[in-house]
Amino acid sequence: MLASAIHTPHVDWFAMSPALTLLGASAVCLMAAVLLPVATRRWFTAWVTAGAFVGAFVAAALLYDRSPHPQEVIAGAIVRDRFGALAALIICGAGLASVGVSWRMRLRAHTAEYYALLAAAAGGMVFLVTATNLITVFLALEWFSICLYILCAIDVDLEGSLEAGLKYLVVGGFGSAFLLFGSALVYGSTGKVGFADIARATAAQGLKHDSLLVAGLAMILAGLGFKASAAPFHMWTPDVYEGAPTPVTGFMAAATKTTALVLTLRLLTTAFPQEKQLWTIALAVFAVASLAIGNLAALVQRNVKRMLAYSSISHAGFMLIPIAAGNALGGRALLYYLIPYSAMSVAAFAVVAARERELGQAVTFENIAGLGWERPFLGAALWACMLGFAGLPLTGGFVGKFYAFSAAYDRGWVWLVIVGAVATAVSLYYYFGLVRALYMRAPSAVSLAPSGGQPPRELALQTAVLGCLAVVVASFFAVEPLIKLARMAASSLVF
Amino acid sequence: MKGPDVTWYLGVAAFMFATGALGVLLRRSPLIVLLSLELMLNGANLALIAFSRLHGGGAGQIFALSVMAVAASEVVVGLGLIVAMARRNLTLDVDKLTWLRG
Repeated sequence: MLASAIHTPHVDWFAMSPALTLLGASAVCLMAAVLLPVATRRWFTAWVTAGAFVGAFVAAALLYDRSPHPQEVIAGAIVRDRFGALAALIICGAGLASVGVSWRMRLRAHTAEYYALLAAAAGGMVFLVTATNLITVFLALEWFSICLYILCAIDVDLEGSLEAGLKYLVVGGFGSAFLLFGSALVYGSTGKVGFADIARATAAQGLKHDSLLVAGLAMILAGLGFKASAAPFHMWTPDVYEGAPTPVTGFMAAATKTTALVLTLRLLTTAFPQEKQLWTIALAVFAVASLAIGNLAALVQRNVKRMLAYSSISHAGFMLIPIAAGNALGGRALLYYLIPYSAMSVAAFAVVAARERELGQAVTFENIAGLGWERPFLGAALWACMLGFAGLPLTGGFVGKFYAFSAAYDRGWVWLVIVGAVATAVSLYYYFGLVRALYMRAPSAVSLAPSGGQPPRELALQTAVLGCLAVVVASFFAVEPLIKLARMAASSLVF
Repeated sequence: MKGPDVTWYLGVAAFMFATGALGVLLRRSPLIVLLSLELMLNGANLALIAFSRLHGGGAGQIFALSVMAVAASEVVVGLGLIVAMARRNLTLDVDKLTWLRG
Protein backbone atom coordinates (compact mmCIF):
# COMPACT_ATOMS: atom_id res chain seq x y z
CA MET A 1 0.00 0.00 0.00
CA LEU A 2 2.66 2.46 1.02
CA ALA A 3 4.60 1.93 -2.17
CA SER A 4 1.68 2.75 -4.46
CA ALA A 5 1.98 6.13 -6.12
CA ILE A 6 -0.50 8.86 -5.28
CA HIS A 7 -2.38 10.17 -8.26
CA THR A 8 -1.39 13.80 -8.73
CA PRO A 9 -2.59 16.22 -11.40
CA HIS A 10 -0.19 17.11 -14.17
CA VAL A 11 1.67 20.33 -13.45
CA ASP A 12 3.69 22.12 -16.12
CA TRP A 13 6.66 23.06 -13.93
CA PHE A 14 8.48 24.65 -16.84
CA ALA A 15 5.72 27.27 -17.13
CA MET A 16 6.41 28.34 -13.56
CA SER A 17 10.20 28.05 -13.72
CA PRO A 18 10.96 31.82 -13.73
CA ALA A 19 8.92 32.41 -10.55
CA LEU A 20 10.27 29.23 -8.93
CA THR A 21 13.89 30.17 -9.69
CA LEU A 22 13.43 33.53 -7.98
CA LEU A 23 11.63 32.00 -5.01
CA GLY A 24 14.43 29.46 -4.65
CA ALA A 25 17.02 32.23 -4.61
CA SER A 26 14.95 34.03 -1.99
CA ALA A 27 15.00 30.93 0.23
CA VAL A 28 18.76 30.50 -0.23
CA CYS A 29 19.33 34.16 0.73
CA LEU A 30 17.20 33.77 3.86
CA MET A 31 19.22 30.72 4.89
CA ALA A 32 22.41 32.65 4.22
CA ALA A 33 21.16 35.38 6.55
CA VAL A 34 21.29 32.87 9.37
CA LEU A 35 24.16 30.58 8.43
CA LEU A 36 26.81 32.75 6.78
CA PRO A 37 29.17 35.10 8.62
CA VAL A 38 28.47 38.80 8.07
CA ALA A 39 31.60 39.32 5.99
CA THR A 40 30.55 37.02 3.17
CA ARG A 41 26.79 37.61 3.31
CA ARG A 42 26.61 40.59 0.99
CA TRP A 43 28.87 39.02 -1.59
CA PHE A 44 27.07 35.67 -1.51
CA THR A 45 23.46 36.89 -1.51
CA ALA A 46 24.01 39.52 -4.20
CA TRP A 47 25.55 36.92 -6.51
CA VAL A 48 22.84 34.36 -5.78
CA THR A 49 20.12 36.95 -6.53
CA ALA A 50 21.85 38.15 -9.69
CA GLY A 51 22.26 34.53 -10.79
CA ALA A 52 18.57 33.86 -10.12
CA PHE A 53 17.57 36.88 -12.22
CA VAL A 54 19.76 35.63 -15.07
CA GLY A 55 18.31 32.14 -14.65
CA ALA A 56 14.73 33.42 -14.61
CA PHE A 57 15.50 35.59 -17.65
CA VAL A 58 16.81 32.58 -19.57
CA ALA A 59 13.83 30.47 -18.45
CA ALA A 60 11.42 33.21 -19.58
CA ALA A 61 13.21 33.45 -22.93
CA LEU A 62 12.88 29.67 -23.40
CA LEU A 63 9.22 29.88 -22.40
CA TYR A 64 8.70 32.60 -24.96
CA ASP A 65 10.33 30.48 -27.61
CA ARG A 66 8.40 27.32 -26.81
CA SER A 67 4.88 28.61 -26.13
CA PRO A 68 3.51 29.76 -29.47
CA HIS A 69 -0.01 28.79 -28.35
CA PRO A 70 -1.41 29.77 -24.93
CA GLN A 71 -1.88 26.79 -22.62
CA GLU A 72 -3.72 26.66 -19.30
CA VAL A 73 -1.64 25.54 -16.32
CA ILE A 74 -2.93 24.22 -12.95
CA ALA A 75 -6.66 24.21 -13.70
CA GLY A 76 -6.61 27.64 -15.30
CA ALA A 77 -4.89 29.43 -12.41
CA ILE A 78 -2.14 30.68 -14.69
CA VAL A 79 -1.46 30.53 -18.41
CA ARG A 80 1.70 29.76 -20.31
CA ASP A 81 1.97 32.19 -23.20
CA ARG A 82 4.30 34.64 -24.89
CA PHE A 83 2.56 37.68 -23.40
CA GLY A 84 3.46 36.63 -19.87
CA ALA A 85 6.92 35.48 -20.92
CA LEU A 86 7.82 38.85 -22.46
CA ALA A 87 6.61 40.70 -19.35
CA ALA A 88 8.70 38.30 -17.23
CA LEU A 89 11.74 39.13 -19.38
CA ILE A 90 11.28 42.86 -18.68
CA ILE A 91 10.81 42.30 -14.94
CA CYS A 92 13.89 40.06 -14.68
CA GLY A 93 15.98 42.58 -16.62
CA ALA A 94 14.91 45.37 -14.28
CA GLY A 95 15.63 43.13 -11.29
CA LEU A 96 19.11 42.23 -12.51
CA ALA A 97 20.01 45.90 -12.98
CA SER A 98 18.58 46.69 -9.53
CA VAL A 99 20.92 44.14 -7.93
CA GLY A 100 23.85 46.09 -9.39
CA VAL A 101 22.43 49.39 -8.17
CA SER A 102 21.91 47.96 -4.67
CA TRP A 103 25.46 46.64 -4.28
CA ARG A 104 26.81 49.57 -2.29
CA MET A 105 23.56 50.40 -0.55
CA ARG A 106 23.65 51.11 3.18
CA LEU A 107 21.95 48.10 4.72
CA ARG A 108 23.69 47.45 8.05
CA ALA A 109 22.86 43.85 9.00
CA HIS A 110 19.98 43.39 6.55
CA THR A 111 21.77 42.65 3.28
CA ALA A 112 20.65 39.04 2.97
CA GLU A 113 17.04 39.90 3.82
CA TYR A 114 17.12 42.74 1.30
CA TYR A 115 18.12 40.47 -1.57
CA ALA A 116 15.72 37.75 -0.42
CA LEU A 117 12.83 40.24 -0.54
CA LEU A 118 13.95 41.62 -3.90
CA ALA A 119 13.98 38.14 -5.44
CA ALA A 120 10.65 37.21 -3.82
CA ALA A 121 9.00 40.43 -5.03
CA ALA A 122 10.19 39.81 -8.58
CA GLY A 123 8.96 36.20 -8.31
CA GLY A 124 5.48 37.45 -7.39
CA MET A 125 5.47 39.86 -10.31
CA VAL A 126 6.57 37.18 -12.77
CA PHE A 127 3.76 34.99 -11.44
CA LEU A 128 1.15 37.76 -11.59
CA VAL A 129 1.72 38.53 -15.27
CA THR A 130 0.69 34.94 -16.08
CA ALA A 131 -2.42 34.92 -13.83
CA THR A 132 -5.75 34.10 -15.47
CA ASN A 133 -7.89 33.75 -12.38
CA LEU A 134 -9.12 36.34 -9.86
CA ILE A 135 -7.79 34.31 -6.91
CA THR A 136 -4.31 34.08 -8.43
CA VAL A 137 -4.42 37.80 -9.20
CA PHE A 138 -5.13 38.77 -5.61
CA LEU A 139 -2.62 36.32 -4.13
CA ALA A 140 0.23 37.26 -6.48
CA LEU A 141 -0.54 40.96 -6.09
CA GLU A 142 -0.22 40.73 -2.31
CA TRP A 143 2.79 38.42 -2.66
CA PHE A 144 4.89 41.10 -4.32
CA SER A 145 3.23 44.05 -2.57
CA ILE A 146 4.07 42.81 0.93
CA CYS A 147 7.70 42.30 -0.13
CA LEU A 148 7.77 45.86 -1.49
CA TYR A 149 6.31 47.33 1.74
CA ILE A 150 9.23 45.87 3.66
CA LEU A 151 11.77 46.89 1.01
CA CYS A 152 10.53 50.49 1.23
CA ALA A 153 11.01 50.52 4.98
CA ILE A 154 14.27 48.55 5.11
CA ASP A 155 16.69 51.45 5.51
CA VAL A 156 15.64 52.36 9.04
CA ASP A 157 18.41 54.96 9.37
CA LEU A 158 17.10 56.92 6.41
CA GLU A 159 14.70 59.60 7.51
CA GLY A 160 11.34 58.80 5.94
CA SER A 161 12.00 55.18 5.01
CA LEU A 162 9.76 53.71 7.72
CA GLU A 163 7.16 56.35 7.01
CA ALA A 164 7.26 55.48 3.31
CA GLY A 165 6.82 51.78 4.13
CA LEU A 166 3.79 52.42 6.33
CA LYS A 167 2.21 54.82 3.84
CA TYR A 168 2.69 52.34 1.01
CA LEU A 169 1.22 49.57 3.15
CA VAL A 170 -1.89 51.55 4.05
CA VAL A 171 -2.54 52.87 0.54
CA GLY A 172 -1.52 49.59 -1.13
CA GLY A 173 -3.79 47.63 1.22
CA PHE A 174 -6.60 50.07 0.49
CA GLY A 175 -6.17 49.50 -3.25
CA SER A 176 -5.97 45.72 -2.82
CA ALA A 177 -9.18 45.75 -0.76
CA PHE A 178 -10.96 47.55 -3.61
CA LEU A 179 -9.64 45.00 -6.09
CA LEU A 180 -10.80 42.20 -3.78
CA PHE A 181 -14.30 43.56 -3.28
CA GLY A 182 -14.57 44.13 -7.02
CA SER A 183 -13.50 40.52 -7.61
CA ALA A 184 -16.16 39.37 -5.12
CA LEU A 185 -18.84 41.32 -7.00
CA VAL A 186 -17.73 39.92 -10.35
CA TYR A 187 -17.78 36.43 -8.85
CA GLY A 188 -21.24 37.13 -7.44
CA SER A 189 -22.53 38.24 -10.79
CA THR A 190 -21.05 35.51 -12.97
CA GLY A 191 -20.30 32.69 -10.52
CA LYS A 192 -16.83 32.31 -12.05
CA VAL A 193 -13.30 33.35 -11.08
CA GLY A 194 -11.38 32.38 -14.24
CA PHE A 195 -10.95 35.22 -16.75
CA ALA A 196 -12.19 33.30 -19.78
CA ASP A 197 -15.07 31.77 -17.75
CA ILE A 198 -16.18 35.25 -16.68
CA ALA A 199 -16.27 36.40 -20.30
CA ARG A 200 -18.18 33.26 -21.36
CA ALA A 201 -20.68 33.56 -18.51
CA THR A 202 -21.23 37.26 -19.27
CA ALA A 203 -21.94 36.47 -22.91
CA ALA A 204 -24.09 33.38 -22.21
CA GLN A 205 -26.28 34.87 -19.46
CA GLY A 206 -26.58 38.31 -21.02
CA LEU A 207 -24.99 40.03 -18.02
CA LYS A 208 -23.56 42.87 -20.06
CA HIS A 209 -25.40 45.56 -18.10
CA ASP A 210 -25.61 43.68 -14.81
CA SER A 211 -25.10 46.25 -12.06
CA LEU A 212 -23.02 43.88 -9.88
CA LEU A 213 -20.66 43.14 -12.77
CA VAL A 214 -20.25 46.80 -13.71
CA ALA A 215 -19.67 47.83 -10.08
CA GLY A 216 -17.13 45.00 -9.71
CA LEU A 217 -15.33 46.07 -12.86
CA ALA A 218 -15.17 49.67 -11.59
CA MET A 219 -13.67 48.59 -8.26
CA ILE A 220 -11.14 46.31 -9.99
CA LEU A 221 -10.11 49.22 -12.20
CA ALA A 222 -9.64 51.42 -9.13
CA GLY A 223 -7.52 48.75 -7.44
CA LEU A 224 -5.33 48.36 -10.52
CA GLY A 225 -5.06 52.16 -10.76
CA PHE A 226 -3.55 52.24 -7.25
CA LYS A 227 -0.93 49.65 -8.21
CA ALA A 228 -0.05 51.31 -11.52
CA SER A 229 0.00 54.73 -9.74
CA ALA A 230 -2.34 56.23 -12.32
CA ALA A 231 -4.22 59.40 -11.40
CA PRO A 232 -6.60 59.79 -9.55
CA PHE A 233 -5.10 56.97 -7.46
CA HIS A 234 -1.55 58.34 -7.51
CA MET A 235 -1.30 60.37 -4.30
CA TRP A 236 0.95 57.86 -2.53
CA THR A 237 3.52 57.78 -5.33
CA PRO A 238 5.68 60.88 -4.69
CA ASP A 239 5.89 60.25 -0.93
CA VAL A 240 6.74 56.57 -1.23
CA TYR A 241 9.17 57.08 -4.12
CA GLU A 242 10.96 59.82 -2.18
CA GLY A 243 11.07 58.00 1.15
CA ALA A 244 12.06 54.53 -0.08
CA PRO A 245 15.74 53.68 -0.57
CA THR A 246 16.59 54.80 -4.12
CA PRO A 247 17.47 51.36 -5.60
CA VAL A 248 14.08 50.09 -4.38
CA THR A 249 12.38 53.11 -5.96
CA GLY A 250 14.01 52.32 -9.30
CA PHE A 251 12.89 48.70 -9.12
CA MET A 252 9.35 49.72 -8.16
CA ALA A 253 9.09 52.32 -10.92
CA ALA A 254 10.14 49.79 -13.55
CA ALA A 255 8.83 46.41 -12.42
CA THR A 256 5.67 47.29 -10.49
CA LYS A 257 4.43 49.48 -13.31
CA THR A 258 5.20 46.78 -15.89
CA THR A 259 3.33 44.19 -13.84
CA ALA A 260 0.29 46.34 -13.12
CA LEU A 261 -0.13 47.55 -16.71
CA VAL A 262 0.42 44.12 -18.27
CA LEU A 263 -2.09 42.60 -15.82
CA THR A 264 -4.59 45.38 -16.59
CA LEU A 265 -4.38 44.64 -20.30
CA ARG A 266 -4.73 40.88 -19.84
CA LEU A 267 -7.57 41.09 -17.30
CA LEU A 268 -9.63 43.57 -19.28
CA THR A 269 -9.24 41.91 -22.67
CA THR A 270 -9.81 38.32 -21.49
CA ALA A 271 -12.40 38.75 -18.73
CA PHE A 272 -14.38 41.82 -19.83
CA PRO A 273 -14.53 41.91 -23.64
CA GLN A 274 -18.29 42.57 -23.37
CA GLU A 275 -17.68 45.71 -21.31
CA LYS A 276 -15.11 47.16 -23.68
CA GLN A 277 -17.09 50.36 -24.21
CA LEU A 278 -16.93 51.04 -20.48
CA TRP A 279 -13.34 50.26 -19.66
CA THR A 280 -11.82 51.93 -22.70
CA ILE A 281 -13.52 55.20 -21.70
CA ALA A 282 -12.53 54.75 -18.03
CA LEU A 283 -8.89 54.09 -18.92
CA ALA A 284 -8.83 57.06 -21.31
CA VAL A 285 -10.02 59.25 -18.40
CA PHE A 286 -7.31 57.77 -16.13
CA ALA A 287 -4.73 58.41 -18.85
CA VAL A 288 -5.72 62.06 -19.31
CA ALA A 289 -5.81 62.64 -15.54
CA SER A 290 -2.38 61.02 -15.09
CA LEU A 291 -0.88 63.05 -17.92
CA ALA A 292 -2.30 66.29 -16.55
CA ILE A 293 -1.46 65.77 -12.88
CA GLY A 294 1.90 64.06 -13.43
CA ASN A 295 3.23 66.68 -15.81
CA LEU A 296 1.91 69.77 -14.03
CA ALA A 297 3.11 68.65 -10.60
CA ALA A 298 6.53 67.62 -11.98
CA LEU A 299 7.06 71.18 -13.21
CA VAL A 300 7.38 72.60 -9.70
CA GLN A 301 9.46 69.86 -8.03
CA ARG A 302 12.95 70.67 -6.74
CA ASN A 303 13.71 67.20 -5.37
CA VAL A 304 14.89 64.94 -8.22
CA LYS A 305 13.27 61.79 -6.81
CA ARG A 306 9.91 63.53 -6.50
CA MET A 307 10.23 64.89 -10.02
CA LEU A 308 10.91 61.36 -11.30
CA ALA A 309 7.93 60.09 -9.27
CA TYR A 310 5.59 62.56 -10.98
CA SER A 311 7.21 61.69 -14.29
CA SER A 312 6.38 58.03 -13.59
CA ILE A 313 2.73 59.03 -12.98
CA SER A 314 2.69 60.80 -16.33
CA HIS A 315 4.22 57.71 -17.95
CA ALA A 316 1.45 55.60 -16.44
CA GLY A 317 -0.79 57.94 -18.44
CA PHE A 318 1.21 57.46 -21.63
CA MET A 319 1.09 53.68 -21.24
CA LEU A 320 -2.62 53.63 -20.43
CA ILE A 321 -3.29 55.22 -23.83
CA PRO A 322 -2.52 52.01 -25.79
CA ILE A 323 -4.51 49.91 -23.28
CA ALA A 324 -7.46 52.30 -23.60
CA ALA A 325 -7.21 51.97 -27.38
CA GLY A 326 -8.13 48.31 -26.84
CA ASN A 327 -6.74 47.01 -30.13
CA ALA A 328 -3.91 44.68 -31.12
CA LEU A 329 -1.72 47.64 -32.05
CA GLY A 330 -2.22 48.93 -28.49
CA GLY A 331 -1.10 45.64 -26.94
CA ARG A 332 2.01 45.70 -29.10
CA ALA A 333 2.68 49.36 -28.26
CA LEU A 334 2.38 48.75 -24.51
CA LEU A 335 4.77 45.79 -24.52
CA TYR A 336 7.28 47.66 -26.65
CA TYR A 337 7.07 50.86 -24.58
CA LEU A 338 7.68 48.96 -21.34
CA ILE A 339 11.13 47.80 -22.53
CA PRO A 340 12.85 51.24 -22.87
CA TYR A 341 10.69 52.69 -20.05
CA SER A 342 11.89 50.10 -17.51
CA ALA A 343 15.52 50.56 -18.53
CA MET A 344 15.25 54.37 -18.29
CA SER A 345 13.60 54.20 -14.86
CA VAL A 346 16.21 51.91 -13.34
CA ALA A 347 19.08 53.93 -14.85
CA ALA A 348 17.71 57.33 -13.80
CA PHE A 349 17.18 56.25 -10.20
CA ALA A 350 20.60 54.56 -10.23
CA VAL A 351 22.30 57.87 -11.07
CA VAL A 352 20.28 59.57 -8.33
CA ALA A 353 21.37 56.81 -5.92
CA ALA A 354 25.03 57.33 -6.84
CA ARG A 355 24.77 61.09 -6.29
CA GLU A 356 22.93 60.52 -3.01
CA ARG A 357 25.69 58.26 -1.69
CA GLU A 358 28.28 60.82 -2.73
CA LEU A 359 26.56 63.73 -0.99
CA GLY A 360 24.96 61.92 1.93
CA GLN A 361 21.77 63.92 1.43
CA ALA A 362 18.68 64.04 -0.78
CA VAL A 363 19.39 65.01 -4.38
CA THR A 364 17.83 68.27 -5.54
CA PHE A 365 18.08 70.31 -8.72
CA GLU A 366 20.59 72.51 -6.86
CA ASN A 367 23.03 69.90 -5.61
CA ILE A 368 22.95 67.78 -8.76
CA ALA A 369 24.42 70.82 -10.57
CA GLY A 370 27.65 70.03 -12.34
CA LEU A 371 27.24 66.24 -12.13
CA GLY A 372 27.69 66.13 -15.91
CA TRP A 373 31.23 67.52 -15.55
CA GLU A 374 32.19 65.80 -12.30
CA ARG A 375 31.00 62.31 -13.27
CA PRO A 376 30.85 62.36 -17.07
CA PHE A 377 29.49 58.83 -17.48
CA LEU A 378 26.67 59.15 -14.94
CA GLY A 379 25.82 62.62 -16.23
CA ALA A 380 25.60 61.38 -19.81
CA ALA A 381 23.47 58.45 -18.65
CA LEU A 382 20.99 60.70 -16.86
CA TRP A 383 20.93 63.01 -19.88
CA ALA A 384 20.10 60.07 -22.16
CA CYS A 385 17.35 58.91 -19.79
CA MET A 386 15.78 62.37 -19.74
CA LEU A 387 15.79 62.44 -23.57
CA GLY A 388 14.18 59.00 -23.50
CA PHE A 389 11.48 60.00 -20.99
CA ALA A 390 10.75 63.08 -23.08
CA GLY A 391 10.39 60.82 -26.12
CA LEU A 392 13.11 62.25 -28.34
CA PRO A 393 14.67 60.23 -31.18
CA LEU A 394 17.78 58.06 -30.69
CA THR A 395 16.05 56.51 -27.67
CA GLY A 396 13.33 53.88 -27.49
CA GLY A 397 11.04 56.40 -25.76
CA PHE A 398 10.44 58.07 -29.13
CA VAL A 399 9.25 54.89 -30.82
CA GLY A 400 7.23 53.91 -27.74
CA LYS A 401 5.30 57.17 -27.70
CA PHE A 402 4.85 57.05 -31.46
CA TYR A 403 3.31 53.56 -31.26
CA ALA A 404 1.14 54.45 -28.26
CA PHE A 405 -0.27 57.48 -30.09
CA SER A 406 -0.82 55.54 -33.30
CA ALA A 407 -2.84 52.94 -31.34
CA ALA A 408 -5.13 55.72 -30.10
CA TYR A 409 -5.31 57.19 -33.62
CA ASP A 410 -6.22 53.76 -34.96
CA ARG A 411 -9.16 53.67 -32.57
CA GLY A 412 -10.23 57.08 -33.86
CA TRP A 413 -9.36 59.00 -30.69
CA VAL A 414 -7.53 61.95 -32.16
CA TRP A 415 -8.27 64.00 -29.03
CA LEU A 416 -6.27 61.52 -26.93
CA VAL A 417 -3.33 61.86 -29.31
CA ILE A 418 -3.51 65.65 -28.96
CA VAL A 419 -3.59 65.42 -25.15
CA GLY A 420 -0.56 63.12 -25.28
CA ALA A 421 1.33 65.46 -27.59
CA VAL A 422 0.61 68.49 -25.37
CA ALA A 423 1.71 66.50 -22.30
CA THR A 424 4.96 65.59 -24.08
CA ALA A 425 5.59 69.25 -24.88
CA VAL A 426 5.03 70.25 -21.24
CA SER A 427 7.30 67.44 -20.03
CA LEU A 428 10.19 68.81 -22.12
CA TYR A 429 10.43 71.70 -19.67
CA TYR A 430 11.28 69.68 -16.58
CA TYR A 431 13.29 66.97 -18.31
CA PHE A 432 15.47 69.62 -19.93
CA GLY A 433 15.49 71.51 -16.65
CA LEU A 434 17.35 68.58 -15.12
CA VAL A 435 19.74 68.37 -18.08
CA ARG A 436 20.40 72.10 -17.72
CA ALA A 437 21.17 71.58 -14.04
CA LEU A 438 23.57 68.76 -14.96
CA TYR A 439 25.66 70.76 -17.41
CA MET A 440 24.92 74.46 -17.44
CA ARG A 441 24.82 75.71 -13.90
CA ALA A 442 27.82 76.54 -11.83
CA PRO A 443 27.97 74.04 -8.99
CA SER A 444 26.59 75.75 -5.91
CA ALA A 445 28.36 75.38 -2.61
CA VAL A 446 27.78 71.72 -1.87
CA SER A 447 28.99 70.32 1.40
CA LEU A 448 30.22 66.82 0.68
CA ALA A 449 29.77 64.17 3.30
CA PRO A 450 32.88 64.04 5.49
CA SER A 451 34.10 60.74 4.11
CA GLY A 452 37.12 62.40 2.53
CA GLY A 453 38.41 62.22 -1.00
CA GLN A 454 36.73 60.65 -3.97
CA PRO A 455 33.84 58.30 -3.36
CA PRO A 456 34.67 54.73 -4.35
CA ARG A 457 34.01 53.89 -7.96
CA GLU A 458 30.86 51.85 -8.13
CA LEU A 459 31.58 49.26 -10.75
CA ALA A 460 28.35 47.31 -10.17
CA LEU A 461 26.18 50.43 -10.40
CA GLN A 462 27.96 51.70 -13.49
CA THR A 463 27.66 48.34 -15.21
CA ALA A 464 23.93 48.31 -14.46
CA VAL A 465 23.55 51.85 -15.83
CA LEU A 466 25.55 50.91 -18.93
CA GLY A 467 23.33 47.88 -19.52
CA CYS A 468 20.17 49.98 -19.17
CA LEU A 469 21.56 52.62 -21.53
CA ALA A 470 22.33 49.93 -24.08
CA VAL A 471 18.68 48.83 -23.91
CA VAL A 472 17.40 52.41 -24.22
CA VAL A 473 19.48 53.14 -27.33
CA ALA A 474 19.22 49.67 -28.86
CA SER A 475 15.44 49.76 -28.61
CA PHE A 476 15.55 52.70 -31.01
CA PHE A 477 17.87 51.11 -33.54
CA ALA A 478 16.50 47.56 -33.22
CA VAL A 479 12.84 48.54 -33.43
CA GLU A 480 12.02 45.90 -36.00
CA PRO A 481 12.93 42.76 -33.99
CA LEU A 482 11.53 44.19 -30.72
CA ILE A 483 8.20 45.09 -32.34
CA LYS A 484 8.14 41.59 -33.77
CA LEU A 485 8.67 40.16 -30.27
CA ALA A 486 5.88 42.40 -28.93
CA ARG A 487 3.57 41.49 -31.82
CA MET A 488 3.99 37.76 -31.25
CA ALA A 489 3.47 38.27 -27.50
CA ALA A 490 0.35 40.42 -27.94
CA SER A 491 -1.11 37.84 -30.32
CA SER A 492 -1.64 35.58 -27.25
CA LEU A 493 -4.55 37.88 -26.37
CA VAL A 494 -7.77 38.19 -28.34
CA PHE A 495 -8.78 41.81 -28.87
CA MET B 1 -34.88 26.07 5.92
CA LYS B 2 -34.55 29.12 3.76
CA GLY B 3 -32.19 31.77 5.06
CA PRO B 4 -32.21 35.46 4.23
CA ASP B 5 -31.77 36.59 0.64
CA VAL B 6 -28.22 37.02 -0.67
CA THR B 7 -28.89 40.76 -0.97
CA TRP B 8 -28.86 41.04 2.82
CA TYR B 9 -25.46 39.45 3.02
CA LEU B 10 -24.23 41.73 0.31
CA GLY B 11 -25.67 44.70 2.21
CA VAL B 12 -23.82 43.78 5.40
CA ALA B 13 -20.62 43.12 3.42
CA ALA B 14 -20.86 46.50 1.69
CA PHE B 15 -21.52 48.20 5.05
CA MET B 16 -18.42 46.55 6.56
CA PHE B 17 -16.36 47.54 3.54
CA ALA B 18 -17.57 51.13 3.65
CA THR B 19 -16.97 51.38 7.41
CA GLY B 20 -13.43 50.12 6.89
CA ALA B 21 -12.80 52.50 4.00
CA LEU B 22 -14.02 55.46 6.07
CA GLY B 23 -11.83 54.31 8.95
CA VAL B 24 -8.74 54.24 6.72
CA LEU B 25 -9.52 57.71 5.42
CA LEU B 26 -10.53 59.39 8.69
CA ARG B 27 -8.81 57.78 11.67
CA ARG B 28 -5.41 59.00 12.83
CA SER B 29 -3.84 56.13 14.73
CA PRO B 30 -2.02 53.72 12.41
CA LEU B 31 -3.28 50.84 14.55
CA ILE B 32 -6.91 51.77 13.90
CA VAL B 33 -6.07 52.30 10.22
CA LEU B 34 -4.71 48.72 10.03
CA LEU B 35 -7.81 47.50 11.83
CA SER B 36 -10.01 49.29 9.29
CA LEU B 37 -8.06 47.67 6.44
CA GLU B 38 -8.88 44.28 7.98
CA LEU B 39 -12.53 45.29 8.14
CA MET B 40 -12.50 46.08 4.40
CA LEU B 41 -10.96 42.70 3.58
CA ASN B 42 -13.43 40.88 5.82
CA GLY B 43 -16.34 42.67 4.18
CA ALA B 44 -15.12 41.30 0.87
CA ASN B 45 -14.75 37.85 2.49
CA LEU B 46 -18.36 37.89 3.62
CA ALA B 47 -19.51 38.77 0.11
CA LEU B 48 -17.34 35.98 -1.33
CA ILE B 49 -18.77 33.37 1.02
CA ALA B 50 -22.37 34.49 0.48
CA PHE B 51 -21.92 34.32 -3.30
CA SER B 52 -20.19 30.97 -2.94
CA ARG B 53 -23.32 29.57 -1.24
CA LEU B 54 -25.49 31.17 -3.90
CA HIS B 55 -23.65 29.70 -6.86
CA GLY B 56 -22.53 26.45 -5.26
CA GLY B 57 -18.97 25.29 -5.88
CA GLY B 58 -16.11 26.15 -3.58
CA ALA B 59 -14.24 28.87 -5.46
CA GLY B 60 -15.54 31.71 -3.30
CA GLN B 61 -14.75 29.90 -0.05
CA ILE B 62 -11.24 29.02 -1.19
CA PHE B 63 -10.79 32.65 -2.18
CA ALA B 64 -11.96 33.80 1.28
CA LEU B 65 -9.60 31.38 3.03
CA SER B 66 -6.59 32.64 1.09
CA VAL B 67 -7.63 36.23 1.75
CA MET B 68 -7.49 35.50 5.50
CA ALA B 69 -3.92 34.23 5.17
CA VAL B 70 -2.94 37.28 3.12
CA ALA B 71 -4.62 39.68 5.56
CA ALA B 72 -2.70 38.12 8.44
CA SER B 73 0.65 38.53 6.68
CA GLU B 74 -0.16 42.11 5.74
CA VAL B 75 -1.01 42.99 9.31
CA VAL B 76 2.21 41.36 10.55
CA VAL B 77 4.22 43.71 8.36
CA GLY B 78 2.08 46.68 9.38
CA LEU B 79 2.45 46.00 13.09
CA GLY B 80 6.19 45.44 12.61
CA LEU B 81 6.51 48.84 11.00
CA ILE B 82 4.50 50.49 13.78
CA VAL B 83 6.70 48.87 16.44
CA ALA B 84 9.84 50.00 14.60
CA MET B 85 8.49 53.54 14.45
CA ALA B 86 7.54 53.50 18.13
CA ARG B 87 11.08 52.38 18.99
CA ARG B 88 12.47 55.34 17.11
CA ASN B 89 10.08 57.61 18.98
CA LEU B 90 8.42 58.66 15.77
CA THR B 91 5.02 60.06 16.49
CA LEU B 92 2.20 57.59 15.98
CA ASP B 93 -0.31 59.93 14.37
CA VAL B 94 -0.76 59.69 10.62
CA ASP B 95 -1.65 63.39 10.39
CA LYS B 96 1.72 64.32 11.86
CA LEU B 97 3.75 61.95 9.67
CA THR B 98 4.61 64.73 7.30
CA TRP B 99 8.33 64.42 6.84
CA LEU B 100 7.25 63.40 3.37
CA ARG B 101 4.75 65.94 2.17
CA GLY B 102 2.29 64.72 -0.44
